[in-house]
Amino acid sequence: MSTTYNVIGTRPIRHDGADKVTGRALYGADLQLARMIHGAVLRSPHAHARILRIDTSKAEALPGVFAVVTAADFPPAPADKIVDFGEGDTLLSSLRGNILASGKVLYSGHAVAAVAAVNAHVAAEAAALIEVDYEPLPCVLTAPEAMAPGAPILHENLPNGNVAELIRYEMGDLAAGFAEATVIVERELDTATVHQGYIEPQNATAFWSSDGRIHIWCSTQGSFVARDASAAVLDVPVSQVKVTPMEIGGGFGGKINVYLEPVAAMLSKKAGRPVKLVMSRRDVFTGTGPTPGSRVRVKIGVNDAGKITAAQAWLAYEAGAYPGAMVGPGAMTVFACYDIENVLIEGFDVVVNKPSTSAYRAPGAPNSALATETVLDEIAEKLGIDPLELRLRNAAKEGTRRADGPRYKRIGCIEVLEAMKASPQYNAPLPGPNCGRGVAIGFWFNAGLPSSATLSVNADGTVNLIEGSTDIGGSRTSLSMQAAEVLGLRAEDIHPTIVDTDSVGYTGVTGGSRTTFATGLAVHDAAQMVVEQMKARAARLWAVDEVSFSNGTFSANGQSLTFAQLAAQLGATGGPVSCSATVNPKGVGGSIAGLIIDVKVDPETGKTDVLRVTSVQDAGKAIHPAYVEGQMQGGTAQGIGWALNEEYFMDADGDMRNGSYLDYRMPTALDLPMIETIIVEVPNPGHPFGVRGVGEANIVPPLAAVANALYRATGKRLNRVPMNPATILGL
Amino acid sequence: MDNFEYANPSTVKEALSLLTAGAEVLAGGTDLLSLLKDEVHKPKRLVNIKNIKALGGISKAGNNIRIGATVTLDELASSQLIRAAYPSLVQAALGITSPQIRNMGTVAGDLCQRPRCWYFRSGNGLLNKSLVENGENKYHAIFGTGSAQFVSASSLGPALMALGATVKIAGADGKTKDVPVAQFFKAPSAEGEREIALAANEIVTDILVPAPATKNATYEVRHKQALDWPLATASVALRMSGTKVTSASITLGHVGPTPVRATEAEKMLVGQTITADSAEKAGAAAVAGAKPLSQNAYKVQLAKVAVKRALLTAAGVKAV
Amino acid sequence: MTVTINGKAHQLSTAPDRPLLDVLREDLGLTGTKYGCGEGQCRACTVLLNGKPVTSCLTPARLADGKSITTIEGLATGDRLHRVQQAFLDAEAMQCGYCVPGMILRTVSLLEVTPHPTDAQIVEALDGNLCRCCGYVRILAAVRRAAQTTDGGLPHAE
Repeated sequence: MSTTYNVIGTRPIRHDGADKVTGRALYGADLQLARMIHGAVLRSPHAHARILRIDTSKAEALPGVFAVVTAADFPPAPADKIVDFGEGDTLLSSLRGNILASGKVLYSGHAVAAVAAVNAHVAAEAAALIEVDYEPLPCVLTAPEAMAPGAPILHENLPNGNVAELIRYEMGDLAAGFAEATVIVERELDTATVHQGYIEPQNATAFWSSDGRIHIWCSTQGSFVARDASAAVLDVPVSQVKVTPMEIGGGFGGKINVYLEPVAAMLSKKAGRPVKLVMSRRDVFTGTGPTPGSRVRVKIGVNDAGKITAAQAWLAYEAGAYPGAMVGPGAMTVFACYDIENVLIEGFDVVVNKPSTSAYRAPGAPNSALATETVLDEIAEKLGIDPLELRLRNAAKEGTRRADGPRYKRIGCIEVLEAMKASPQYNAPLPGPNCGRGVAIGFWFNAGLPSSATLSVNADGTVNLIEGSTDIGGSRTSLSMQAAEVLGLRAEDIHPTIVDTDSVGYTGVTGGSRTTFATGLAVHDAAQMVVEQMKARAARLWAVDEVSFSNGTFSANGQSLTFAQLAAQLGATGGPVSCSATVNPKGVGGSIAGLIIDVKVDPETGKTDVLRVTSVQDAGKAIHPAYVEGQMQGGTAQGIGWALNEEYFMDADGDMRNGSYLDYRMPTALDLPMIETIIVEVPNPGHPFGVRGVGEANIVPPLAAVANALYRATGKRLNRVPMNPATILGL
Repeated sequence: MDNFEYANPSTVKEALSLLTAGAEVLAGGTDLLSLLKDEVHKPKRLVNIKNIKALGGISKAGNNIRIGATVTLDELASSQLIRAAYPSLVQAALGITSPQIRNMGTVAGDLCQRPRCWYFRSGNGLLNKSLVENGENKYHAIFGTGSAQFVSASSLGPALMALGATVKIAGADGKTKDVPVAQFFKAPSAEGEREIALAANEIVTDILVPAPATKNATYEVRHKQALDWPLATASVALRMSGTKVTSASITLGHVGPTPVRATEAEKMLVGQTITADSAEKAGAAAVAGAKPLSQNAYKVQLAKVAVKRALLTAAGVKAV
Repeated sequence: MTVTINGKAHQLSTAPDRPLLDVLREDLGLTGTKYGCGEGQCRACTVLLNGKPVTSCLTPARLADGKSITTIEGLATGDRLHRVQQAFLDAEAMQCGYCVPGMILRTVSLLEVTPHPTDAQIVEALDGNLCRCCGYVRILAAVRRAAQTTDGGLPHAE
């Protein structure tokens, strides 16, 4: 199938580009409001402790201080109240407890109190004057330790100690499947806690006006989720809260949760002024969601033909202080690339005394794919089969059923594997000794969720696009392009604006790789409505029944008008045209990504240099190929950092020791080679242009691909990520 | 940060008079500002020495090359005088990432910067041995001294020490003294003591590097290419007669609370030709006395390799 | 103290402990310069001090006395973007855009000193400017593109 497009697949300049290269783009911390004051948050030095007493009197007495808040200022959260912001259920008490600790602190860095003062300096000074008496309790930091009998218990109300949730997916007959296998490999791999690492720290400014309306400006992946979560925590109706999403300096899943927003609002209520809160880098590391550390055990059996006969996985993920480790997605994706009859998957969501985890790009999937994809590498070697060939023999396809239930519609697994096999890198020799090449693939579901858009036709022939999806990677443009394609216009004829929650219909988060897909669908539908209305205007103008529209031109009976010409006459034919659409799409298409990576390992120091990388991904349809490549390169870079260097160093009492970029070791330009990309397009039947969503699947393969490459270079199978000089040397 | 006063003297004498109790010297600020932010240092007064002309410049001074205290790392690495004679210094300076830091950071600041030990930086002191021994010590010393298990952060220190450089210090009494770099660094034995031989009312004015008669090189091992601290460094200076070593000076960096002199390895090389084999043996001798902590045995191997590769580089023998 | 910022002289008074970043953002409203870490490690706060790139979060404001500073707001001439800005725009060298001001200023200074940098020189120059979104590929391409255009330079003489 081949469809020709005018705009889709081209690479127009982004609409917000000029603002971003001139420094005009306003991020949350750049906001200045009249009478605005500044806040600071006091955080717990203990990983687990009972709060015996909080005395804020000295802080309140400091000149320049306007307000101090603690958990006691917030309405109580009923123990079992569940809130759902579209991405699954959350206990309100968890959300509340993470924002300001009440009763106990559950991690070092847990917010305990906050101050608003005339400037940030005075606020910090006042926060230091707040007296908190703690009764330290023993802490537990890893999932296996937290699951062991006698471990310190974080939450008294969980039924299974520190295990918040047990997941079990079963299919076929596992024992029979393993009995058929001629090669069985089982491995257990650990991953360390890592952070999303966005460069812009969290920030929030709030003004609680005397009429009860609360206005919040913040750096969020989802203004409506920030609104709903803030309203729930503050126990006010959602209509009382308006969230204006500012430009966002990266998120990767870490800016879906609220941290500062309700605190700034409560400080503002007390102070009667707008209050701005901005995190420091250390606050970001210790107070916002990292991604779970994990232990995953995978056992796979294969017959002589290289067909997987049985697969078993056991996953324990660290949720951090509150339930929700994303072990669910980890379990659902662990074998998602393969067509396997006999499967057993068990997952454990385990609370530990670390910061409450939040989503990070395909949350849960890299951890589990690490185990599956390294085990398959080992099997391929044992069978003497090319590792991509082994995967091809087992690749999921249309109709394949996943162990957690769903059957795939169209899925691009085989196409991605074939593209990897045919890639220049896979067919090039390695450059010399101590080098190794690794491959791996991964799956991500992608998300649907509601989205809204409004299109208004301007008399000059351009169109305003009003939408609510935070733009983290160019979605203003990828959405405008979809409108332009339908309307027969150029991308630059569409003027996108991201507006506050009062000004557009409900729109879910920019997450789950969903914006170009779901908000794109809303834009597409609104654009089609515009076309229909414009056709009706032309019909009235020409007094005909039928008007056709193609390539930006309306025509009937030999008469024609371009979009712009008709737009100029709307006033005379009944007034302006403006159309809104809200969608809740069901036709989500999952994405498969693959990675080929060549490394060179210094055998004496264990230092690894990444020589060459090719990222391959099924985009369904690449609306703006440069942005698709950018997502693939970004996810790959993060995955390589995760694989080789990044980790939280936490000592036995739960203090993070490396809460700075220098000690955390994110990749820089010198650490990465040019990342080559191959976009595969297996259209998603659930989207008019075939879009699947590309933000996440690309981070799934790198951990395993690096591990496999290191094995090929050194002969060692490492069982822990990050694979740094110490682990590679085995010292 | 608490508020404090700021002074901007234009002469060393004036600067010294301002260095009363609670005052600290500010040069590039790249380390000091982060110490102030972490509230590890709480000075009452900052004395900016960047405007003291006498503290700048790189020049020949008799048999020495004189490097002014406030010469930036970038100026050092691009100086023709330095490049011609001391590749080990250039390599050490370029190891400090990134260009922005090299533009602000100064030579004396590199020598005087505080350790990066994360227990120290979070307010647990410099000599909290039990915390380090039982905690996260992957980046700590393998040549600890008593309670001092942190590593010296200086990148230039090992190279200057191997080159036999001296530090010129001006004191409050108006007198100056020359302290060999080897004695400038010292392991503190009591909390509150500094890890350098510089009193609070003294200023480093110059560094004097003896005339080049050596083949020298620095080799650093890091996790990553950039935005990282060295895990181990070796700096060597060799006097040669033909292909034979007549004397060797070898200093390890980032492995102990001071740069560590590898005297056994130095002795072993005298009379030898530098080959992969002799360099390997010297590396092994250099780390023979290492006492790694629970998580950093790998640093022994890295230090050994650093010595070997620094020797091969200095001698112009192709390294691995 | 007197500081020339983007070609205009400013008389400022500030507490000695304040970093240049805070003075630029809070006192002068030049919010294009970004805070990312406060420890000179992400380089989002890079500005040019007498033409040389420095991390403004670690530069005491007082050290700028008598010097000239260029921030991201000072690069364009009226509506005409500086060639490095144009190259970043044309090369789509951004996703979230937060690191872009620092990247652009670092590139401006690189090209002033080394008008035709090799790939190795480009990577070396940008080695400490963190980007978490894009894996650096497009940023390096933008620098190469900027080096190929000659139009424009710093609008303010240093």
